[in-house]
Amino acid sequence: MYFFPSKLVLYPQVNFTVDQIRAIMDKKANIRNMSVIAHVDHGKSTLTDSLVSKAGIIASARAGETRFTDTRKDEQERCITIKSTAISMYYELSENDLAFIKQSKDGSGFLINLIDSPGHVDFSSEVTAALRVTDGALVVVDCVSGVCVQTETVLRQAICERIKPVLMMNKMDRALLELQLEPEDLYQTFQRIVESVNVIISTYGEDENGPMGNIMVDPVIGTVGFGSGLHGWAFTLKQFAEMYAAKFAAKGNTQMTPVERCKKVEDMMKKLWGDRYYDTENGKFVKSAIGADGKKYSRTFCALILDPIFKVFDAIMNFKKEETAKLIQKLDIKLDADDKTKEGKPLLKAVMRRWLPAGEALLQMITIHLPSPVTAQKYRCELLYEGPGDDEAAMGIKNCDPKAPLMMYISKMVPTSDKGRFYAFGRVFSGSVSTGLKVRIMGPNFVPGKKEDLYLKPIQRTILMMGRYVEPIEDVPCGNIVGLVGVDQYLVKTGTITTFEQAHNMRVMKFSVSPVVRVAVEAKNPADLPKLVEGLKRLSKSDPMVQCIIEESGEHIVAGAGELHLEICLKDLEEDHACIPIKKSDPVVSYRETVSAESSLMCLSKSPNKHNRLFMKARPFEEGLAEDMEKGEVTHRQEMKARARYLADKYEWDVGEARKIWCFGPDGNGPNLLVDVTKGVQYLNEIKDSVVAGFQWAAKEGVLCEENMRAIRFDIHDVTLHTDAIHRGGGQIIPTARRVLYACQLTAEPRIMEPVYLVEIQCPETAMGGIYGVLTRRRGHVFEESRVMGTPMYVIKAYLPVMESFGFTADLRSNTGGQAFPQCVFDHWQILSGNPLEATSRPGVVVMETRKRKGLKEGVPALDNYLDKL
Amino acid sequence: MCGFDSLVIFVYYLTLPLKFVLFYRSLLAFFATMAEAFSSSSETVIRRSINVEVKANTSGEKLEEFYDIKETCEFIREHNFDKVALQFPDELLVDSVAVAQEIERNSHAKTFILGDTSYGSCCVDEVAAEHVGASCIVHYGSACLSPSNRLPVLYIFEKRPLDVELCASSFRELYPDTQTHVILLCDVNYNHAIDGLLALLSPEYPNLAVSELVVGGGQCFIHGRKQMDKTCPSEPENSLVISQFGRRFSLKCGTAVTDYRMFYVGLEGATLRNFMMTWNRCSFCSFDPVSLKGRTESINVNRALMKRYYAIERAKDANVVGILVGTLGVVDYLSIIQQLKETIHRAGKKSYMFLMGKLNVPKLANFMEIDIFVLIACPENSLLDSSEFYKPIVTPFEMEVACNKKREWSGEYVTDFRHLLPGGGSHVPLADQQEDVDDETDVSLITGALRSQNLMNSEPVESSFGSSVVLRNQTLTVANADSAASFLAGRSWRGLEPALGDAPVVKVVEGRKGIAIAYEDEGTS
Repeated sequence: MYFFPSKLVLYPQVNFTVDQIRAIMDKKANIRNMSVIAHVDHGKSTLTDSLVSKAGIIASARAGETRFTDTRKDEQERCITIKSTAISMYYELSENDLAFIKQSKDGSGFLINLIDSPGHVDFSSEVTAALRVTDGALVVVDCVSGVCVQTETVLRQAICERIKPVLMMNKMDRALLELQLEPEDLYQTFQRIVESVNVIISTYGEDENGPMGNIMVDPVIGTVGFGSGLHGWAFTLKQFAEMYAAKFAAKGNTQMTPVERCKKVEDMMKKLWGDRYYDTENGKFVKSAIGADGKKYSRTFCALILDPIFKVFDAIMNFKKEETAKLIQKLDIKLDADDKTKEGKPLLKAVMRRWLPAGEALLQMITIHLPSPVTAQKYRCELLYEGPGDDEAAMGIKNCDPKAPLMMYISKMVPTSDKGRFYAFGRVFSGSVSTGLKVRIMGPNFVPGKKEDLYLKPIQRTILMMGRYVEPIEDVPCGNIVGLVGVDQYLVKTGTITTFEQAHNMRVMKFSVSPVVRVAVEAKNPADLPKLVEGLKRLSKSDPMVQCIIEESGEHIVAGAGELHLEICLKDLEEDHACIPIKKSDPVVSYRETVSAESSLMCLSKSPNKHNRLFMKARPFEEGLAEDMEKGEVTHRQEMKARARYLADKYEWDVGEARKIWCFGPDGNGPNLLVDVTKGVQYLNEIKDSVVAGFQWAAKEGVLCEENMRAIRFDIHDVTLHTDAIHRGGGQIIPTARRVLYACQLTAEPRIMEPVYLVEIQCPETAMGGIYGVLTRRRGHVFEESRVMGTPMYVIKAYLPVMESFGFTADLRSNTGGQAFPQCVFDHWQILSGNPLEATSRPGVVVMETRKRKGLKEGVPALDNYLDKL
Repeated sequence: MCGFDSLVIFVYYLTLPLKFVLFYRSLLAFFATMAEAFSSSSETVIRRSINVEVKANTSGEKLEEFYDIKETCEFIREHNFDKVALQFPDELLVDSVAVAQEIERNSHAKTFILGDTSYGSCCVDEVAAEHVGASCIVHYGSACLSPSNRLPVLYIFEKRPLDVELCASSFRELYPDTQTHVILLCDVNYNHAIDGLLALLSPEYPNLAVSELVVGGGQCFIHGRKQMDKTCPSEPENSLVISQFGRRFSLKCGTAVTDYRMFYVGLEGATLRNFMMTWNRCSFCSFDPVSLKGRTESINVNRALMKRYYAIERAKDANVVGILVGTLGVVDYLSIIQQLKETIHRAGKKSYMFLMGKLNVPKLANFMEIDIFVLIACPENSLLDSSEFYKPIVTPFEMEVACNKKREWSGEYVTDFRHLLPGGGSHVPLADQQEDVDDETDVSLITGALRSQNLMNSEPVESSFGSSVVLRNQTLTVANADSAASFLAGRSWRGLEPALGDAPVVKVVEGRKGIAIAYEDEGTS
């Protein structure tokens, strides 16, 4: 919905009425839902502009008068995208181009729903939400800096969601003008980027025989674009292949059917990339770089594609007027009158834009290679839908059937001008949604057959969302993106909307970032507390990632992915959502409590009435198990035997024990386990619920400083119980279980874990010293340092504790003269070395400070509070 | 469960020459919590001491002065009481026998020592007194002064020593501006010295107001001062009189409580906390008569309020509420129970009532299906730090904020539940039944899940077609499921397992010997 006015060009507006739009929506094979994803500053928004300038925007009549997009002030000031922006475009393919489309099609007009997403890691959740409702992704890579950390993060997410990628190498102007690369070097750069993108795709995606087929990007088939968003030009091999095919064909036959022509062009494209060479003198394609006579041939890509571009650049930038004129004529470029008077860069822009218009090349790439909902939903259904693969809802999604029951996923909430109310933004996957339709609104906790998180409500209005404007529309069929009014209050952030009574949920989105940075907020005036709470609720709705929590200590916590994310959230909270003066604490980090050894002794706690004893021990998880749980390889929902087998195979667990996992915790799904390793204990089942309750409680609030536990396995070794049930009720067992778990934790060399960022920094060599200095001071360590090929830039990858990251960006800039820009993304949890029970150690200080902040008693409680003797 | 523990105590007391009644209904609870702080080997168990600061016996001549025995006897004689219940807090029990003997000798009334109270020792335990058919109660030590009306009560406070000079000088330090509006509050046990303090300070501080102790309920008496004169002649007519928590003070006309600062004489504890929460806009200073230090109370009231607000949010999340009856003495406790039941029901929640004497962790954890407890107790005992409890405990006020849509949080905090009742200063009537048909939803910031206010009546009647046959709606049938039933269904263990034939029949074997805390075969390490 938002992007930069600074980058905004005036678009040739094609105004459609709602009825016309509605008609296009029915042609589901001609819809392309796509997102633009990239690392920050690789030029997504600029590129999006050139797309929009080419295609007609489907806009309301009013859009012509006022500026189309509304912008957040902060987006302008900071020059970064914060919220993802949806734009609908209409594009018509010529008959010749239609032949390239391998999937089903329905006429020549295409509806392209494009979502421009933020590139900064802190806003990755916006990307996730965008990916869910789209089927294809335009991956933009700056050909100078190459594939960066955020490129990888978002691409990985896209692949995991079965989103088909196409690649765009942006900023070619920089490669030519600033770096002055030779054609062969530039080819090598491109080749490397294509390779690294494909490495990511093959690492996280299925192989060629997977349901999506081959999704590797390949210039030869036209899924890689090259160009400059800033200068407004771009091409794929298809553009040049067409030129050369026409040139070579002109010698022979004159008329070709679109299909024949397509075949010819595709053949030509194969010749234009890779180890194919061109004998310029004879005008022949050859297979090796060195001819029989020892003559060197240059690569086809260099000779036939880069060479002309280099010539144009050279002629114009070096003010060779005659040559320029000749080239313009040769390339058959018609310049406007005022363009003709330009020279240097402006002329270059004008010429390139006329010759290789970016919009044309990209829109062709998008319409030809990205899947329509019909194609995509067939293979995406099993990932999207939690229910059985053959029920009505699943079939409706697979077939993208507008007559099937409605299935719609709400991926985010968009604030309306009406305070506290939101549009529910999402995609219809099956059936169609209409104003007044009575639907089932199911939140993420809904379980089929239960009433929890389920509401039956009519939809007040269905709307088309176009930037700031919304336009009511009667109904929207499957395959389209739509906004709903009146369901926001029944959903927290995301959810499923359906008319099918037996429908299961659509799978919730998995975010690539975690909210690890926290700030406590406080209303300056205690009477404003309800306003603050109300504001927090709104804030948590408006952002897919942010977490707003009230802690037991009474603190109101806002947790976000990084400092920038939090800053934006707090500003929104204060100005838009709560509208009251707010006090903020310094950012703090959430920690985890873990253990580093097996309990040194068998821990015993007796129930308050002394009649029941629990004997338990704690030990740390095997390396990697906690991560497996977070990835969903090992979950509480899994079938018990399958889970046991996995644990036995991968972590050498005893199968018998692995089958007796009582529960995960905290919250029934966290990365800690309670395992029953007892033998033949009477009444054990009877106290299971109570012990589990105690475990959930203890795992949520560890003994050190009441932070969540992580990666601890608790084994119940023995239990003695009173024979009379009345003496082993919950009241006796729950507090006892909690005490024994604490005793286990204290005797197993407890440790504190802190979150760690992966930091990627790009900088020139001269700035490296400064970077190392800053990192060392902040306990960071560099694990990879590489030079970006063909540039003087280096990429440093390092691990940096989140605790030390506050003010890191500013510190880095000041120490490198503003030459280094870090990107931090949460990577893993790491043990903070030292014994937290020693007050002077680093973790000891962390424990002390956390306890103080939470208003707990000073000092970790002594072991004898929890451990009983026989 | 309780036989053994109480036996020990009985043995100890039976060696005393006097016949008296002891109620040990809930000392057990006290023990249970204590036990956690001790390592418990079998030898120590018999000699286990109670964690109470036991003072040395007060000597004979001091007894009279300390416990106002003469005055007590006069009071008894005057009203012709024949059976007198003497209620002592735990720390004064050492003197109880001597006091009882003294009173019996001087008044011919029969005395009973109420050694232990059902609830807080600050409250008058009328129920225990009625067990022995007492016609009046003499309450010793700290008191919350909550009104009670079943039996006549005479309050006798401890006369703890207060260095008036030092107190006055630290007052001067804390309030250098002599024009400051200050209200002087004190712990009941220092009340005897407050006149002396006032005499020292009032010449310098013209805007000093002093609180005096007043007990509501027609039959309560405070020693030293005769039954309160209802009107104090010295007060100007138009001044605002505030009486709360057994304290009464009058404000200068044109001023509000928020214009005043509070100076509290006494140890920090429930009393001070209660004052600070109630008058949370006023700044507090206190003088500690033991350490002889005056200080500005630095407890962040804002923070405390936020913590209580967390409890309110928990209450909003709850579906099943347990009403804990924590007093049988404070007047109107039945009305507040009734009102709470109604409020909770209207909010679509279920409530159960519990009467369990003194609270402790194991007792409450026995009821896993309860999401939150609301405690009805005297103001000083209401504010309970429930972090050790499995489920949180809130005050009636907090429950009201959570359930009564018409009540808005304004930063005002009410610890005295009587103000919530009709006619009370903070009463807010419930919304009309018609008004709250619209089911508003709301996000919980604790669980992150949605909660809807009216789960009960969210399903509209579907028979708008005029047809007499209504489709059996799947969601409708599930929606009516009982919350207790659904809780049971969620448990992994639902009752005895009829594993008939699976369990082998075994002969009787010899079991373990000894007591639960350490059986004989476990050794005595």
